[in-house]
Amino acid sequence: MNEILNGLIQAIELIVKCDPEVMSITLRTLEITFTSTLIGVLIAIPIGGLIYFKNFTGKRSLVNLIQTLYSLPTVLVGLLVFLLISNEGPLGNFQLLFTPGGMIQGQTILILPIITGFTITGLYGVKSEIKDLALSLGASDFQTIHTLMKEAKYALYAAVILGFGRAISEVGVALMIGGNIRGFTRVITTTMSLETAKGNLELSIALGIILLGISLLINLALNHFQEK
Amino acid sequence: MSELKIENINKLYDGKLILEDINLIIKKGTSLGIIGPTGCGKTTLLRIVDQIEMPSQGKIYYNNIEISKSKNIIRDYRRKIGMVFQKPVVFKGTVLENIEYGLKIRGIDTNSTQPKIKELLRSLGLEGYEHRKASTLSGGETQRIALARALIIEPEILILDEPTANLDPLSTEKIEYMIDEIRKKNKTTIIMATHNLIQGQCLCDEIAIINNRIQQIGKPEEIFRKPENIFVAEFVGTKNIIKGNAQKIEDNLTLIRIEDINVYSTSSIEGNVYMSIRPEDITISRSKTIITGLNNLNGYVKGFLDIGTFIKVDVDVGEIFTIYLTRKTFFDLQISLESNIWLQFKASSVNVFK
Repeated sequence: MNEILNGLIQAIELIVKCDPEVMSITLRTLEITFTSTLIGVLIAIPIGGLIYFKNFTGKRSLVNLIQTLYSLPTVLVGLLVFLLISNEGPLGNFQLLFTPGGMIQGQTILILPIITGFTITGLYGVKSEIKDLALSLGASDFQTIHTLMKEAKYALYAAVILGFGRAISEVGVALMIGGNIRGFTRVITTTMSLETAKGNLELSIALGIILLGISLLINLALNHFQEK
Repeated sequence: MSELKIENINKLYDGKLILEDINLIIKKGTSLGIIGPTGCGKTTLLRIVDQIEMPSQGKIYYNNIEISKSKNIIRDYRRKIGMVFQKPVVFKGTVLENIEYGLKIRGIDTNSTQPKIKELLRSLGLEGYEHRKASTLSGGETQRIALARALIIEPEILILDEPTANLDPLSTEKIEYMIDEIRKKNKTTIIMATHNLIQGQCLCDEIAIINNRIQQIGKPEEIFRKPENIFVAEFVGTKNIIKGNAQKIEDNLTLIRIEDINVYSTSSIEGNVYMSIRPEDITISRSKTIITGLNNLNGYVKGFLDIGTFIKVDVDVGEIFTIYLTRKTFFDLQISLESNIWLQFKASSVNVFK
């Protein structure tokens, strides 16, 4: 019990004193996660929009598949990306294994289904009358899509935040692709899983608190948007 | 002459023909009422005219240009139209943002249009509503916003799909007033679906009665006075519709044989027909009188009902005829159940249709 309490006290100390290692890990985590979320959004929202607007055979099955991939196991993505970017893989020439770039790639793949799926659901949540209304007021196809996205914006924010949340909290891809290299690919989750095993509790707890804090901030932001 | 021409429109839904062979020509600045029962295809027709929905067959021409499948032509055509849907809908945001939508879509500077928006809101009884959240308004207010939103772009064609269905009396009045104002300017073509006959009569130059196909089209009074078929007659509430067999007996005179009675008409239609006579074209007396009109039928009062201004009296002359009497006439003639009375009406008042 004492050990946990000590760990907690030391962890708070680490945070309050802005311990360089804690800060560097946190910043690296945010950098990687923000980048993968940004790339994910740029790919997934247009794809989601396209799937919503186009009618084609197999649309239902595709949406079902995307929703199934919400729970894509992180280690599976890790394995897939590993096979892709390892020296023997088709993308081996880019030397992405054990780099932040590789991690970003993996996390992006991981969150694409969530953002795409929630974009589609969000757009379906907009009343069909809105589409007719925009068209009847003279909107072009592109303007109509823009209007519908605006109507669905809170659902889209939620999709982005959910994607970010999944990326920041996953450990499979980060560990398998990043390799937890100190000062380079070491992020909050990889540090916590490895340092805990080594008995370095205060660092793990400090990072855990920070991770929780980030989640809290995300949720506050989400609530703020939803109240608007 | 700029006009809207709708040619041979058909629309299939799940193998069912919702619209069949619709042909309409609507001249600039006139108003056309599309009237019919629920599910008759009114909304579908309006949506096709606005090109939100495509017909299964048929074409639309505006100012002699075919509104083809080209996206740009359709969009440019649509930009000349303002549409108000039956169900009030608004975009998220303020009233002002809603009204400005059509302008922004067209790339029009919204600063210069502020006075016009203000004026429009004022005449719709929504003065000072600009910055309210549109989604918090009542159905009637929302529908008035919808009208303002359609009007701010100064459409050449205004399409209204039952704009006052299920609205409060104040909103209905404001919307009808506005439509009438636009109509008086003779600049905007109005196409309006309604199932309210009185509204159609008041606001439209012409009325088309629709039930999947056009049953009759014409000036409101023509439709009310001379329905061309049994569907229109029943739909517009024509009274005294009776089935019979017509035969020409003179140049300008046809005899319609109905089981126990004969009715003369000036119509030239022969064979199995329906005849109708408007209650207000029937006069009554307690004794047989020599009259210029040819129809003189004797019967007895089968029932009567006080409906406010008038008393509705059913008279059995072999067939049941409904007539409306003023209270005064009713009491002056001392009418009661089983009273023996005579009905007189002119042959030219009898409407005959197949």
